[in-house]
Amino acid sequence: MGEIFRQLSQLLEHLGEKQIAVLHLLGAEVRFDVMAIIMSWVVIILLVLLALWLRRALRQPVEEKPNRIQAALDALIDLLKGQLADNFASERLAIMMFPFISTLFLYVLLCNWIGVFPYMMSPTQDINVTFGLALMVAVMCHVLAVRFNGVRKWLKGFIEPYPFMLPINLVGLIANPLSHAFRLFGNILAGTILVTVIMVKFAPIIVPPALNIFFGLFFGGIQAFVFAILAVAYINVAVEG
Amino acid sequence: MMQEAQTVASGISGVHIAEAAKYIAAGLCMGIGAIGPAIGEGMAAAHALDGMARQPEMQGALLRTMVLGQAISETTGIYSLLIAIVLLFVI
Repeated sequence: MGEIFRQLSQLLEHLGEKQIAVLHLLGAEVRFDVMAIIMSWVVIILLVLLALWLRRALRQPVEEKPNRIQAALDALIDLLKGQLADNFASERLAIMMFPFISTLFLYVLLCNWIGVFPYMMSPTQDINVTFGLALMVAVMCHVLAVRFNGVRKWLKGFIEPYPFMLPINLVGLIANPLSHAFRLFGNILAGTILVTVIMVKFAPIIVPPALNIFFGLFFGGIQAFVFAILAVAYINVAVEG
Repeated sequence: MMQEAQTVASGISGVHIAEAAKYIAAGLCMGIGAIGPAIGEGMAAAHALDGMARQPEMQGALLRTMVLGQAISETTGIYSLLIAIVLLFVI
């Protein structure tokens, strides 16, 4: 029993520690969090394998009655369409952006959920991962705004409703991806820290799995949904406003 | 044990004060920072519930908007959490 407690307290000491790989590129020092990169690749490979497996299960004539996997996939697509893609301002935008938003949602969802398993870490508890995702959404917003409305209207959007609002709009340009990234990162990190602290300090058995289900699965699902739906909202504002 | 007692007896140095201030600041930061988001999220849930009671057929849309609004009002709480983490682990 004492041995277990000693190991657990080591877990708390190593909380927040990272394996950093330093790379020298063109004279500049580039730092990587090895664990986050490995876990992101695990998630990506899991998603690809899932897609391949689902595709194999779909090989059947259209007239036949759908098999179980097909029905499950239909339900998933219906859910994604109904909850995420229907919030887009126009039908054209929804058709165009449905794959992007669904991929974003599934990736973040799996990233959040993989932290529940022992010896696994959520890639989204690393700020760089969430920041990359938020930056991707922000760039997508402006690209779409230019494509739908033209450069002139996109530039004009910065001095609306009045020209003296320009500084506030410029701050919004940076603050939107910043808050988008911090929201996901903070929620997942807080869950991890809370579960670890409670596991080490108060209750090493029974309670941590229950907390893991609550913080990992429930909050992870909610935060993935919120991340995707906020991306939808940002894109809507960029294209419409 | 003896040495500890002696350190306490010999007075509290600046390092100890800084250490204590760190924990107090992190606690205050989280405690005060959580008030705003809590009130905001509660109000969002209350009004969404009002709407659902009045129009049960709108439940899906109301729930979605409520969760979105709560996530946005939660941002300030997350900021204070980040500051608390920085206070505890980085400084």
